[in-house]
Amino acid sequence: MSMFGALDVAGSGMRATRKWLDAVSDNIANINTASRTDQEAFRSRMIVAQAENYGGAGGIRVVGAAFGNAEGRLVYSPTHALADNEGMVRMPDIDLGDQMTQLMIAQRGYQANISVIERAKDAYQMALQLGRRT
Amino acid sequence: MSISPIGFTPGFSSLPSMPSVAAPAPGGEGFAGMVTDNLERLQGLHSKSDKLIVKAATGDLTDIHDYMIASSQSSVATELTVAVRNRAVEAFTEVMRMNV
Repeated sequence: MSMFGALDVAGSGMRATRKWLDAVSDNIANINTASRTDQEAFRSRMIVAQAENYGGAGGIRVVGAAFGNAEGRLVYSPTHALADNEGMVRMPDIDLGDQMTQLMIAQRGYQANISVIERAKDAYQMALQLGRRT
Repeated sequence: MSISPIGFTPGFSSLPSMPSVAAPAPGGEGFAGMVTDNLERLQGLHSKSDKLIVKAATGDLTDIHDYMIASSQSSVATELTVAVRNRAVEAFTEVMRMNV
């Protein structure tokens, strides 16, 4: 742990939740991205987080991204420009309700890490007041 | 009558030698070394914060909080260094005012 361990750890948490927010926003933005039935559907983005060893650097690290299924779901939409002979298009298999829930969790996680930073900074500044003559 | 010259008084040789105060190694232990180390660390924190603000200005900063954390760290570290310096100067003036 360095001198400002709590700040660095909370910063890593903020970075991880920021990447989560990025992934969720990507999924929501592409929720209506259709593709041809002979092509892959938009694959939902998910981040893979891993805990750093405590006592070392500490915190959390995003080790990579995982992708949802390329199957998607087939939707009957004969007027769609990408529809095949049977009038089907491939839509991504993303649930908006699930994405909104993830968005809220990520946002709250980000805010929680901000609170940690504020409290830690206050604590460090209070420590500087220690023994100061008034 | 011959006067014998003053010779070496044998009693003095057996005086125990005073333990000498070891001079602090440069950059190592001792207050000066500690201050130097901390100033170097402070310099590092400030340069990190400076790099991040340049990145923010050029649009290369992906994490806004990185800069905020770095600037918080450098400001708290500066306050700490100034507090230590003030305490040291205070102690020094206190010693200088001492009636001998």
